Amino acid sequence: MTTARALDVELAENPNAEAMLINMGPQHPSTHGVLRLILELDGEEVVKAAPDIGFLHRGKEKVGEAYSFHKFIPYTDRLDYLAPLSNNVGYALACEKLFDIECPPRATAIRVIAHELSRISAHLLGLGAYAMDLGAMTVFLWTFREREHIYGLIERICGARFTTSYTRIGGVERDLPADFFPRLAAFLEEMPRRVDEYDAMLTRNRIWVERTQGVGVITREQCLQFGLTGPILRASGVDHDIRKSNPYLGYEDYDFDVPIGTEGDCYDRYMVRLEEMRQSVRIMAQVLAKLPDGPVMNREGEQVLKSVLPEKGKVLTNMEALIHQFMVGTDNAGAPDAGEVYFSIENPKGELGFYLRSDGGHAASRLRIRGPSFANLQILEEILPGHMVSDVMAILGSLDFVMGECDR
Amino acid sequence: MTGEPQEFRGDWRVAVETAAEVELIRYARDELGFELFVDRMGADQGPDADPRFDVITCLYNLASHTRLIVMTTLPAARPSCPTLIGVFRGANWFEREIYDMYGVSFTGHPNLTRILMPDEFDAFPLRKEYPMEGLGAFGAPRRALGGNVDGTDGHVAIPPHPGQPGAPTRDPLLGDDGLLPSERALLPDDGEEASS
Repeated sequence: MTTARALDVELAENPNAEAMLINMGPQHPSTHGVLRLILELDGEEVVKAAPDIGFLHRGKEKVGEAYSFHKFIPYTDRLDYLAPLSNNVGYALACEKLFDIECPPRATAIRVIAHELSRISAHLLGLGAYAMDLGAMTVFLWTFREREHIYGLIERICGARFTTSYTRIGGVERDLPADFFPRLAAFLEEMPRRVDEYDAMLTRNRIWVERTQGVGVITREQCLQFGLTGPILRASGVDHDIRKSNPYLGYEDYDFDVPIGTEGDCYDRYMVRLEEMRQSVRIMAQVLAKLPDGPVMNREGEQVLKSVLPEKGKVLTNMEALIHQFMVGTDNAGAPDAGEVYFSIENPKGELGFYLRSDGGHAASRLRIRGPSFANLQILEEILPGHMVSDVMAILGSLDFVMGECDR
Repeated sequence: MTGEPQEFRGDWRVAVETAAEVELIRYARDELGFELFVDRMGADQGPDADPRFDVITCLYNLASHTRLIVMTTLPAARPSCPTLIGVFRGANWFEREIYDMYGVSFTGHPNLTRILMPDEFDAFPLRKEYPMEGLGAFGAPRRALGGNVDGTDGHVAIPPHPGQPGAPTRDPLLGDDGLLPSERALLPDDGEEASS
């Protein structure tokens, strides 16, 4: 957190009558959480910017070394708290790679629905808040109408709206209820029309275009150097979507397009997210059309049972299941004695990676979370200088970060 | 390289001597096409291990869709490693985080300061000897690593909540009128005119 102090010291040593130091955040509305920015201004122009992070640091990586692999699942909800289902999916997949467990086809398909629903939900909030910061209040209200619809669906999936903790190692916690399918179908029919509304509201809106086009340009080279991923990377013209390049959850079987920008400015990042919502609807419609039957948890084979929890309904009535639950929670014999894996998924904000190192214990000996927002925010120091103060809001909105996974 | 590349569950890892790490990553970027910087992280093998700390870098090749994980190991005493900023500028914050969490210093880093923890913090929390429950309330008198406070075996005593055994029966802030200051402030002034 010392960049701020360094800037302060520098300013004291070189008193420049023209420069002004202003503090944005951590409670500024456009910082979407607890990002603090210290800006050195010359008139209205930013000369130097120093992001200050760490206000939401909760030591999740430390917790991951003490709590068992299973117990860490609820902690993943609070990483990118705008897409908790997506984090659950990523963590479960990383653990399954470490334990070498397969997920049954039906659970895999359900995970795709969960993953894409949370992508739309996260993009809706990103778009709404972005537009509101630039004065388009209506878009915010409209996107929240659709988010409410999605939260209703998520509540049907797992009983909670925000803190989902839905996936388990080896599958998902429960099957989808029967009334979920007509609701999802209705949502999928409605959503493209809604995206067209946002499109009509903003894409050719003169104020929106003037405030976003040519603002906050990030080049391909900068993206690669700073490890930017997700819509930001694609807006800069790099064709990289982990769902396409390293398919997981059977994404190779679904037909969808990856939108790519050309300029890398705030406008392109908006366009990429808008199109991604349409593509997510497309993917979910395909999942719904051919949802396989079968179990939603893999409990086949001795090796799998060493690290997969028993059915919750049996744990309190069946002694065998209770012992099994206890053994998995305290010992987890399925964890490899020495092994480390890196697994990443295409989260709404970018590449969410988990690096798990196991030494045979019930918990990871190292649980690293590679949150996309941490890398994505670092670019601020680089691109903010030279912009007007009012452009800072456009750039922050277009980066669409979330501090939960940045500070961890 | 200090050994053959290792494979586990389809991930390839390359262990490299600390001095050669930056050059290897530069070669991987320029000649092998691993252009996208993904991650640079630390790991601790425990207080008994020497070499003890790992610095792990993850790169991605956009053409072949493959990942490369480069790992270097540092000694327990004065762990230090050359900075990667010359190859990937994005390593800046990632190295600050490794310093913040493990106390690994990166030679040549322009601003090696804490990033997630407060500046005044005096420990490296992801080291294995740092206890899960922390070292007591930040800013309060703190015990040294490995020591105890009042024989509580590493746990810092938390004052009991109201209603728990040993809790004060009466809130010390409670006035003679039975009100808390915040409640009293809500009462209308009797008699006196409120000053504008």
